[in-house]
Amino acid sequence: MKIITVLKQVPDAEARIRAGSGGVELDGVTFVIDGMDEYGVEEAIRLREAGHDVEIVALALGPARYEEAIRTALALGADRAVHVETDVELDPIAQARVLAEVVRQEGADLVFVGGKQADWDSAALGPALAEVLGWPHSDWTTELKLAGGALEVRHDTDDGQESLTLPLPAVVTTQQGLNEPRYPTLPNIMKAKRKELAKRSLDELGGAQPLTRVVAQEIQTRERRGRIIEGDAASAAAELVRLLRDEAKVL
Amino acid sequence: MIGFELSDEQKQFQALARTFAKETIIPVAAHHDREESYPEEVVRQAHEVGLLNVSVPEAVGGLGLSMLDEAIIAEELGYGCMGIYTILMASELGIMPLLLAATPEQQARFLAPLLEGPKLAAFALSEPNNGSDAGGLRTRAVFDGDEIVISGTKTWISNGGIADFTVVFATYEPELKHRGTVAVVVEHDRPGLSCNKLHGKLGQRASPTYEMVFDDVRVPIGNMLGEKGDGFKIAMRTLDKTRIPVAAGAVGVLRRALDESRAYALEREAFGQPIARFQAIQFKLADMKIALETARWQTWHAAWLADSGRPHAEAAAIAKAYASDAAFAAAQEAINVFGGYGYMNEYPVEKLMRDVKLNQIYEGTNEIQRVVIARHVLQ
Repeated sequence: MKIITVLKQVPDAEARIRAGSGGVELDGVTFVIDGMDEYGVEEAIRLREAGHDVEIVALALGPARYEEAIRTALALGADRAVHVETDVELDPIAQARVLAEVVRQEGADLVFVGGKQADWDSAALGPALAEVLGWPHSDWTTELKLAGGALEVRHDTDDGQESLTLPLPAVVTTQQGLNEPRYPTLPNIMKAKRKELAKRSLDELGGAQPLTRVVAQEIQTRERRGRIIEGDAASAAAELVRLLRDEAKVL
Repeated sequence: MIGFELSDEQKQFQALARTFAKETIIPVAAHHDREESYPEEVVRQAHEVGLLNVSVPEAVGGLGLSMLDEAIIAEELGYGCMGIYTILMASELGIMPLLLAATPEQQARFLAPLLEGPKLAAFALSEPNNGSDAGGLRTRAVFDGDEIVISGTKTWISNGGIADFTVVFATYEPELKHRGTVAVVVEHDRPGLSCNKLHGKLGQRASPTYEMVFDDVRVPIGNMLGEKGDGFKIAMRTLDKTRIPVAAGAVGVLRRALDESRAYALEREAFGQPIARFQAIQFKLADMKIALETARWQTWHAAWLADSGRPHAEAAAIAKAYASDAAFAAAQEAINVFGGYGYMNEYPVEKLMRDVKLNQIYEGTNEIQRVVIARHVLQ
C-alpha cells in the first residue's frame, strides 16, 4: 500500500516571532518540519516495521525552503518525496484541493496530515483534504492499527475518546500521543540525499487560488492588570476574597 | 566566490546533534561531572544515531564526514557537555592517523570494527615527562622479526583504557629524535598493556583519562602506520586537523555561556530591574557574542581549508587557541553574570569554565599553538 504523509515547514517553536505591517516577519527565523507532521511520518514507518508492505511518500506544498523539511522526512524514513513548489500563500481549503490532486495521481491508500499547523493553527487541512477526496477521516488520532485492509483508530473528541473503524482509503490527522517520533540518524540523513524528491508546479495540478485573503496579522498579547491591594493584612485579605468572589468569580 | 550557507544535510546534522545534546547529554552532564563517571548510555546512544566515529570512511562502511561536518556537530555536543563530547572527539583523534597514513587493508582491519558497536579509538602521544615536545618521546619500539615490541608509559590518554585500539607513538632510535619515531596501532587486548584511570581532574570529568603502561607489548609489524620514521609526521598532521574539533567544542561552550548568561540576566532583578538592563551586563553579553561569531567563523574556515586540501595548520592553530581562550573568558564572565550562584555547581556555568580550561591545554597547549602561528608569521 502507499502512504502519503503531508508535511509543512514551520518556524522553530523556540524562534522569536515578530509581527510587522506586512504580517508575521520570518526573517532570520529557523524553520523545521512541523512537529505534528512528524507523527505521521513516524506512524507510517511503524506500519512498515510492523510488517506491512508500504511505500511512504512525503508530500509538501510550499516555497523552496520547504525542501529542508522534506529532507528531514526522507531522513526519518520516507521513501521518496513530492514537493509542489510555490510562493503563493494558500488557505487550507485551496491547499487541500491541490494536495488531493497529487493524492489521486499517486493512488495513495492512506494519508497522514498533522493535526494542526504549528504556523497558523487552523486544524483544517486534514478534514478539508478528506472532504475534497470524499474519503473517511479521523481527526486528533492517538492510536492506529491496520488490520484486514481497514484502520482501527482511537481519537479525541471534546468530551473523551472514540474508537472508529475506517475503510481505506482514508485520511488520518495526527497529534501528540500517537507515537514518539524518532531522530533521523546520521546515516539516514546521508541516505536521504540519494532519495527521489520530485518537484511539481501548481499549474500542472490545475492551478490554485486562495479563497481567503489575509488582511492583517498580529501577535496575541495578554496584559496583566497587576493590581496591588493596599491596607493591613486582615483588610487586604478581606478585599482579596471579595475580588476573587465578585470580580474574578472563582470562589 | 565565497559561501556561508550550510547544506541542507549539514543543517540536519546540526539539528540532530542539537536535539541529542538537549535530550541525551544535558540531563546527565552534571551527574557524570560530579561522580567522575563514564556516560556509557550516552555513548551507546551516540553510536545508535550515528554520532560516533563519523570520520570513518565510506569505503569501510562509515559515514566519511568532512571536518566541517564534524565541526558543526562538535559545537552542538560541546554545548551539551564538553567532557562528554571529548570521549567522541578523542575517538576521532584515534581514527585520524589511520585516515592519513593507513593502507586500505589497515583501514578495513581497524576502522570497520569500530562501527559495530559503541566502540572507541584513542591516540597516545603524551608521556609523563613529555607533552608538547613530541620529538623527545621515550616510549620504545623495538623491531623484532615481524613484530614490534613496545615498552614505556603514556599518560593523559583520553579513552585509553576503554578504547578498542590506541595509536601509540614511540621511538626506535632516540638519537634520530622525531625522525626515529613510529606510529603503531595497539589493540586493547595485547598482553602487557595495562591502563590506570586518572582521577582528580578539574573539569571534563565525564571523559575518562588514562595512564597506559606498555610492558613489552608485541604487535605485528603490519600494525605500523606508514614507514619507519613517519611517527612524528603522522602525529603532527593528525593534530593539525583534530585541533579543529577542539576549537568547535569550545565554540559550543562559548555559546552555552552566552545562552545561560542571557537567560539569567533577563530573569534576575537588581535595583528594581532585570540586570540585562545594565550596560555592565550588556557589555559582557556583547563581548561573548563577538567572541562566538569570530571563533565559529575561524573554526569553520580552518575546517574548510582542511576539507579542500589546502594548508590548514596555521588556521587550525588560530581557531584552537582563539576559540578556547575566548570560551574560557566567556565562561568566566558568565560566572560574574550569575554572581554567587555562578560559583555553585547547582548552576551550569562554573562547569563550563572548568571544562573548557582543558581545551586550552590538550592537543597542543595554546602556548604551542602560538609557536605554530609565529612560525608561519616569520616564515
